[in-house]
Amino acid sequence: MDAIEIKNVSKRLGDFAIQDLSLVLPQGSICGLVGENGAGKTTAIRLIMDALRPDSGEIRVLGVDNRSPEFHQVKEDVGIVLDEAHFPETLNARQVGLIMADTYQRWDAAAYDGFLKRFGLPLKKAFKDYSRGMTMKLAIAVALSHSPKLLILDEATSGLDPIVRDEILEIFSEFTRDESCSILISSHIVSDLEKLCDYIAFLHRGRLRFSMEKDALRDEYGIVACSKSRLSELPEGAVLGTEESPYGVRALVKRRLVPASLPVERPSLEDIILFLVKGEKQA
Amino acid sequence: MKALLKKDIFVLLRQMRMFLLMIAIFAVIPRGNMTVFAIVYCGMLPYTAMAYDERSKWDDLAAMMPYTASDVVMSKYVLGWLAVGCATVLSALSNFLLGLFVTTDLSSAALLPYMCMGFLMMAVTMPIMFRFGVEKGRMFFILLMVFVAVGGAGLVAGLVDSGESGEIPKTMLAFVQVGIPVLSAALTAASIPLSMAMYKKHRYH
Repeated sequence: MDAIEIKNVSKRLGDFAIQDLSLVLPQGSICGLVGENGAGKTTAIRLIMDALRPDSGEIRVLGVDNRSPEFHQVKEDVGIVLDEAHFPETLNARQVGLIMADTYQRWDAAAYDGFLKRFGLPLKKAFKDYSRGMTMKLAIAVALSHSPKLLILDEATSGLDPIVRDEILEIFSEFTRDESCSILISSHIVSDLEKLCDYIAFLHRGRLRFSMEKDALRDEYGIVACSKSRLSELPEGAVLGTEESPYGVRALVKRRLVPASLPVERPSLEDIILFLVKGEKQA
Repeated sequence: MKALLKKDIFVLLRQMRMFLLMIAIFAVIPRGNMTVFAIVYCGMLPYTAMAYDERSKWDDLAAMMPYTASDVVMSKYVLGWLAVGCATVLSALSNFLLGLFVTTDLSSAALLPYMCMGFLMMAVTMPIMFRFGVEKGRMFFILLMVFVAVGGAGLVAGLVDSGESGEIPKTMLAFVQVGIPVLSAALTAASIPLSMAMYKKHRYH
C-alpha cells in the first residue's frame, strides 16, 4: 500500500494552478517535495488532506480516498506540521496537550510530555513567547504524540537555525525506522531534503517536473564543464540547462546521452533543480 | 467538538479576563438594559473566538485534523449558547438575591426573551461569519444591532402611544414572552445547516 497516491490532480486558484499532479509516496519512505516559494507545495498538501477540493483527479491517503467519509478516521493516523504552529498564541503547551487529548483518539499524554521534556519546552509559557524553533518543536511534539503512520510536514524546518534543523531532521529519521511509517516533507531548503529523503519530487509553477528516488536522480543527471562549442556537439535533448562564465560553460546533462569522452560530475540536488529552472527560462 | 470548545474557552479566558468581568458585572446589575448588554456581548463571544482563530490561522490546521465541519460549526454555537446562558443565569440569580432586600426593575420573566434575543442574534449572524469571516461578519452584526435597536424602540413607542393607558398592549407582551423564544428556536434550527454549508463553501473554495 502506498502512503499517498495522487492521480492527475488539477486545481485552479486564481492566477495559480496545480496542473495534472501525479505523485506516489511508498509506505515506509520519505519523500521531499521541493520547489520555490509559490510552486504549489502547500496547495498540494492541502489537497492531500482534503482541506481543499481538487477540480479533477483523485487522491488516496493510507489506501483511503480522501473524499470518502472514511478519510475522517484516516486523519487520526496523520501527523501534521505546517510552516507555523497555527495554535492560538495565548495557549501554552499544557493547554495544547489538553485540547489534543480530546482531538485524537490515540493521544498519548505520556509521549507528549516526553517530547516536551526532550525539547525543553516549558509547560506554562504562552505560546506567543516561544522562539520559532520552540514553536516548531511544539508542533512536532503534537504531530508525533498520537501514533501517526504518516507525517506531513510543510516547511517545518524553514527559518530554523542549522542546529535545531539537524535535531528535528534526526527526529524524523527516527520516526521512519518503523517501516510502516512514512513522511512527506515540503521544503525549499534542498540540503535538508537531500539529507533526509528517499524520494524527491520537484514542483515548479504548479507542475511536477520530476519525482524519483534520490540516488536514481543522481544517476540520471550529471554536470559537465566544457567550452560552448564542445557542448553544442552533444546530441539533442542531452543538455537541460546551462550556466555560462568567461571560462566556459557548466551544464546539466542527461548522463546516458553524453559520450564517455566527456567527464561528467555527480550533481547535487540543488544543482539539478537550479539548472532545470534555468533551462526552462532559457528555452 | 469538546476539543474545539476547550480551545475557545482557554483563549477567551486568557485574552478577555477584564472583558468577561465587565460582562459579569453588567449581568448582575438588576436593570433590564444592563442584562441585555451582557447578553448581547456574550452572544458576540463566538465571533471573538473566530477572530482569534483567523489571526493564528488555526482553521488551516484544523481542516487537516480529525474535526468534522459539524464539530467546527457547532462548537461556536455551543460556545455562544453557554455564554448567553451563563449571563442569563447570573442575572437571574442576582435579581433573585437582590429582590430579597430591594425592589428591582427587572422581572425574572423578562430574562427568557432576553436570552432568546441573544440566541436569535447568533442564529442570524453566524452563517455570515462562517461565509465571509469575522471582519465582514461584524459589520453585518453592527448593522443588525442598529436596525434592531432603532426598529424595536420605534415599535415599542408606537405601541405605547396606541395603548389606552400608555402601557404596552398584552398581545405584544405575549409575543415577547412566547413569540421571541419560538422565533429564536426556528431561526436557530435553520441557521445551523446554513452555517454548515457556508463553512464548507468558505473552506473548500
